[in-house]
Order: sequence, then structure tokens, then C-alpha cells
Amino acid sequence: MRWFWIDRFTEFVSGKYARAVKCVSLTEEAVDEYCPGYPCLPSSVVIEGMAQTGGLLVGQLSDFRERVVLAKIGHCKFVDIPRPGQRLHFLAEITNLQPNGAYVVGRIERDGELFCEMELMFAFLDDDKFAKVEQFEPAAFLRMLRLLRLFDVAVTESGEPVRIPPHMLEAEKTLLASPIP
Amino acid sequence: MPNQDEVFAKVQEALVDALGVDEDEVQPEATMVGDLGAESIDFLDIIFKLEKAFGFQFKREDLYPEDILTNSQYVQGGRMTAEGLAALKQRMPFADLTRFEQNPAVQEFNNLLTVQDLCNYVAMKVGS
Amino acid sequence: MRFAQIDRIVSLIPGDSVRAVKGLALSEEYLQDHFPRFPVMPGVLMLEAIFQASAYLARATDDFRYSMVKLVEARNVKFQGFVQPGDQLVVTAKWHSEQGQQVKLKVEGAIDGRTAVTGVILIERYNLADRGLASTATDQYLIREFKRKYRLLFNQLVSPEQVAANPASVPAN
Repeated sequence: MRWFWIDRFTEFVSGKYARAVKCVSLTEEAVDEYCPGYPCLPSSVVIEGMAQTGGLLVGQLSDFRERVVLAKIGHCKFVDIPRPGQRLHFLAEITNLQPNGAYVVGRIERDGELFCEMELMFAFLDDDKFAKVEQFEPAAFLRMLRLLRLFDVAVTESGEPVRIPPHMLEAEKTLLASPIP
Repeated sequence: MPNQDEVFAKVQEALVDALGVDEDEVQPEATMVGDLGAESIDFLDIIFKLEKAFGFQFKREDLYPEDILTNSQYVQGGRMTAEGLAALKQRMPFADLTRFEQNPAVQEFNNLLTVQDLCNYVAMKVGS
Repeated sequence: MRFAQIDRIVSLIPGDSVRAVKGLALSEEYLQDHFPRFPVMPGVLMLEAIFQASAYLARATDDFRYSMVKLVEARNVKFQGFVQPGDQLVVTAKWHSEQGQQVKLKVEGAIDGRTAVTGVILIERYNLADRGLASTATDQYLIREFKRKYRLLFNQLVSPEQVAANPASVPAN
């Protein structure tokens, strides 16, 4: 089971908001046998979809150098449970940004109607306690962001395309030039 | 401009929300860390909630001066130096540091801050 | 068991509380993405472990009367520690109050006695047929399947003496 709980970004305005979409499918491992006879997607991974939408929105502000983790689900309310064949539309908005964390408000719609609302708090791992921790190797992280089509849609507030962080491009270049193991 | 009671009510609400404690646990003399169980991550959430409630910008390091407490210039043998104490007083004029001054052990610091200190901080910033 | 986020129910007192454990194995596939260089249990899976334990508490309390248990609300779920491969997360859910078909529970998770997650959740139990969502047969099948899964979550090798000492440790049927 991979850990992607959104399928792609559809809109992304740096520092402001991002929209993403997730299709719920009968073939997903998390759906299979979770609720035998009435397939549905666990609500917890829907929260993760918002955490990924919002977390990457926040991460982009530091060129993905800050190690962003979900610190708190302030409040989350579901109207229903997601079922195969449905599409969930995520909207994450940054409401507050501090040097060591950020607050994101999330709204999920299904068939044009409100499905879920939540408030998430993200923290940036500090160097004192987590000096040795690295979540992603830069070239692999870039590959993941490309998979999610983030840079295809991401723009700054003034409408300019968001640039891919130079350190990630460097890492990618180095990887592609290295001999195949 | 909010008066003392209004400030306390909003601070109380922010703490109940952020820490998941009951309203009656949030008394002025309650310590944030010892009595209410606040941790580093909670201070971030409290700042967010205070900003939302009062419409003012607050800073986590005003309430949680990690940088001063871990600065080797200000700390010797786990205790704050006179210089360190001065830096703390400057950063936190709203807090009552007399008890800490009597025994300035760094690990005791976190247990200092009370709900009243927090209210004083907000009042100072908001200018009431 | 697919997407089982609890490995064993250690104790269950109907209408009161449940305690369950979830060990994190390095072989869990999603760890390759979360994170490639720092494999840790995602916070939402800690919540899922808590939810699953709570759902079984509700089912056992209701004597498996309802087929569905869903998460309605999560409040102040604070993540305070990382669960790493080799760690075991012990989740506890305490029945707080009930309003109609909704139950409020105070929940937490700990690793080696250190709190890793705390919060409050609201769950709702119901039958699909009552809401016109599916046939009664679907409800009955679901209940059957959850009874089967529930039994697997208990230590299968518990002796009669242990059962007598702790009646909550093994489900009746």
C-alpha cells in the first residue's frame, strides 16, 4: 500500500491555498475488506489527504527544506463516509504561519456538497531534537512532487509559476548522471 | 480594547481549546506546564488561537524563551546567570519572575508561567 | 487482516473502556513513503488504531446490534511522539457519554508508557437498512464479519482460569 491520499493537485497558490482531488476506488487496499459487503474508505486516510494537501502547501514556502509533520487535528467533522466511485475535492488554506509551524483549514467536497471540515496544525521539526532526521532524499521528494503534478499547477500570488527548488534539481541531476547500480 | 475580564475569558477559551482541559481547571494561578500540562507544541497552538481571538500577532518565544534558556552565555551549570535573568526579564516583562530568581534552575523555568502571566502578556500586547 | 490497525485487544469492558495494541513492523509497505528516510507510523494511523479499538468497544457494548460504526468527529487529537518500527502503540479508549447513536470517547495512545497521542472522538453506530442505504442482508453480513474479526483480535490461547479471572478478555461467541 502506497501512502498517497490525494491523486493530484489541481490548483496551488503559494502561501495561500491548494486544491487536490482523490478518486475512491474498489481496488484500493484500504477499501478492500474494511467494511465487508459495503465498501468504504476509512475516514482517517481522508484526514491524511488533507494533511498531504496542506502539508505540501506549507512545505513549499521553505522550498521543502522544513521538515513538516502533522502535530494536531484541532477539529475534524465528517458528514458521511466515502464510497468507491466517488471523488473527493480537497481545499487547504493556510490561516497562520509561524517560524515553527502553521495552521491550515481544510474543506472537502463531494458532488459539490460539503463532506468534511477540519483544522490541522503542522509543526516544523526543530534541529535540537531532530538534527539527524531527514524525511526524504531530495531527488526522491522531487519525483513524488512531480507525481502529484504540484509544479504543473503551482503559481505564486502574482501568478508566476512556482520554481522547482534548485537544491532538488541539483540532486536530480546528480542522480541521473550517476552510474546505474 | 478588551478589559481584564474579557481578556481572561478569551484566554481561558483558547486554553480549553488548545489543551483540552476543562474551564474550571483554567484558573489565574494555574501553571501552564505543571497544572495544565502544556507542552512545547501546545504553545504553538495557543499562539495561533490567541492571534485568532485578539487579532494581534504574538510570538511563541515571548512565552517559551527556548533561545534564552539554551544560550550558553546565559546558562551555567543548569542555572541562569545574572545576564540571563536580565534577558529573560526583558523578553517577558509581563511575567512574575521573583520565584524563579530565588532558584534560577533552567529546568524549573517551564513550570513558572501561569494563566495570569499569559493574560498579562495579552493585555500588554493588545494595549489595554 | 487488511488495514487492521490493531493487532490485539488486551482488555474490553463493555460500556466502559478498551485497550488494544498495535506493533509497527518495518515490513509495512506504506513506510516506504512515510518517510523513506525516517519510517514512522503516520499520525492518522494512530488515530485509526484508536478508532478501530473504539469501534469494537461499541460493537461489544451493543452486542453487535449495529453493522456500521463511523467516525463523526475528532477533537484536539495531539500527536506527541513518533511510533517507529519495533515500537508497540498501546491505545486506550474510555466511554465518556452517549447521545442517541453517537458515543463520545476520550482516547490516547502510548509507547512504553510515554504518551504519544491524546484526543476525543465521536463515533456513530447504525444499520444501513434503517437509513435506506443497503439491504438487511448486507447489515447481517457485516455484523457476521465483524464478529469474526473481533474474535481474531483476542489471544486465542487463553486458559479457562485466565478467563475466569478476567471475563472481559475473551468474547463469548
